[in-house]
Amino acid sequence: MKRYTIDPITRLEGHGKIEIFCNDDGSVQNVYFQVPELRGFEKFCEGRPVEELPMIVCKICGVCPEAHHLASAKAVDAVFGVEIPSAAKKLRELIYAAHYIHSHIAHFYALAAPDFVVGPTASPAERNVLGVIGKVGVQIGSEVLKHRRLAQEIQKELCGHQTYCVCAIPGGNNKALSEEKRKEFEIIAKSCVDFSKFSLKIFNDVVLANKQYVDIILNGPYALNIHSMGTVDANNKVNFYDGKIRVVDTKGVEICKYDSKDYRDHIAERVESWSYLKFPYLKAKGWTGFVEGQDSGVYHATPLSRLNAADGMATPVAHEEYQKMYSTLGGKPVHATLAMHWARLVELVYASERLHELCRDKEITEPKVRVLPTNTPSEGVGSVEAPRGTLTHHYWTDSRGIVKKVNIVVGTTNNNAPITMSIKKAAMGLIKKGTVVNEGILNMIEMAFRAYDPCFSCATHSLPGNMPMIVNIRDAKGEIVQTIKRG
Amino acid sequence: MGQRALVYGIGNPILTDDAIGPKICDHLKINRPIPGVEYRTGAVGGLCALEQILGYERVVFIDAIRTKDGIPGDVYEFGLSNFKETLHLSSFHDLSFLSAIEMGKNMAFKVPGDIRIIAIEIVEDLVFSNSFSPEIEKKYPLILKEVTEWFDRCFVATP
Repeated sequence: MKRYTIDPITRLEGHGKIEIFCNDDGSVQNVYFQVPELRGFEKFCEGRPVEELPMIVCKICGVCPEAHHLASAKAVDAVFGVEIPSAAKKLRELIYAAHYIHSHIAHFYALAAPDFVVGPTASPAERNVLGVIGKVGVQIGSEVLKHRRLAQEIQKELCGHQTYCVCAIPGGNNKALSEEKRKEFEIIAKSCVDFSKFSLKIFNDVVLANKQYVDIILNGPYALNIHSMGTVDANNKVNFYDGKIRVVDTKGVEICKYDSKDYRDHIAERVESWSYLKFPYLKAKGWTGFVEGQDSGVYHATPLSRLNAADGMATPVAHEEYQKMYSTLGGKPVHATLAMHWARLVELVYASERLHELCRDKEITEPKVRVLPTNTPSEGVGSVEAPRGTLTHHYWTDSRGIVKKVNIVVGTTNNNAPITMSIKKAAMGLIKKGTVVNEGILNMIEMAFRAYDPCFSCATHSLPGNMPMIVNIRDAKGEIVQTIKRG
Repeated sequence: MGQRALVYGIGNPILTDDAIGPKICDHLKINRPIPGVEYRTGAVGGLCALEQILGYERVVFIDAIRTKDGIPGDVYEFGLSNFKETLHLSSFHDLSFLSAIEMGKNMAFKVPGDIRIIAIEIVEDLVFSNSFSPEIEKKYPLILKEVTEWFDRCFVATP
């Protein structure tokens, strides 16, 4: 048996490993996507005052600190049973729209575009953002950096720090938005709307105009027929900050729609011996294994699933693009994994338009952005749509507000089973009897998981606070010849 | 100090030894307040790192590093020509640091002419903790002394 290993996975935060086990004839027998990293974050939070958690959780990782900060703040509000002022809610949503803008820009231009603009089998030396700039022009590179920076300026101003947010506190926010800054942000938001529309134009001109790429998206080994999860507003439109969590099945029919506090009624987490990352599944369907189809319990929580689970986008241009995407791809729901890149760009437009809307909202500069919590703290759940999936924080405290227990289901954890299945499907489709496995093939397998924009630095947890490790050394027949244990 | 300079302590302040960059940076900020020198901390890499340094003349990153057979507490100095991957500067989530710098230069941005990376060999960066590992805790005074002396040579003696 031959074994191909892609380790570490390139362009991925945290550590992960793909192991591909082949039969003697060279075809793929099985694939494992393993996350060996443990961080012990939930344990680290225990014994601390719950109001400190929003400031601590944003240090889990440097990729989506705002998502953790806001999910945590919502959970803390729930722990204290406090309803925050409307202006505070809008300010949080404004901050979050800015976060989405710089996160989605980075993913499209630095992670996704190299595969499509430069080419999926191009040399790694060229298949990067510099290669993208070489193809589309230096000016676009400047615009990428400019708009990421502008979005981050908004975050820095309102969050108190570019990465370590301190703005959301129990009962609201610690800072209101001045009229002077609102005017500045409105100009930035307008520019972001224009740039996000331009990014979609690039996708149209470079990806959709190339029949080979469209074939890869639609007909390659990248489709995964599973259920879709996303947060929706009262009109079933996509919302990143607040609303109900909706899950639709493989045909687009609603399975459930619930408040985040009820997540345990709908989602269960399965443990597999070969991965430290759990595998969530739908309780309504049950765990039926790593299988696709209407009866499977596997769902995904991604930009594409958010669009699948919603009835549209809440802003005009984004909704237009939403309709165009589904019209081009043959209607809802879409199961083409690589269409996530397109969905992400539709979300970029939505985030920009929503930012612009909020900057023009008369209430956004209201000085009252906090109410003082007076209830005895106990238990609370908060969730947001992190750029890479639904993020849920659940806290239990004693009557003094000291944290007794924490459970966090992060975006990438939701997608653990789909990522594993997508990689296996891609590997089986690309590695056949007699296939020469080269860098291009391995990159095309990596494309299957890269579409999910996975981030594992916050997805794994360890109770002992140390990293247990077992290393099995196997011979060519798969027999263990030596075992090394730690922890 | 005639040039605008940035000292950036990179790392996660609650991830055991990974906190060493921010901790040293905070020490320098308090004990070496020099006009024209700004001090900043955070866990940034790739594009973010590039965005943070545009417009400065001189930049010093202080980051953690883990090398094969490295001795905990050893301090390395890199320029761009002999840069090795430190724990944060090259993010799998976006670009490698060198690619980001190259990108900035290609686009005629004002990339600092003098970029140094001070990297400290650490032991543990996978476990959440407010404290250093015992090895780094024991050596921290020496590490701090070595980095501070280096800083004084670069910024105080020859501003």
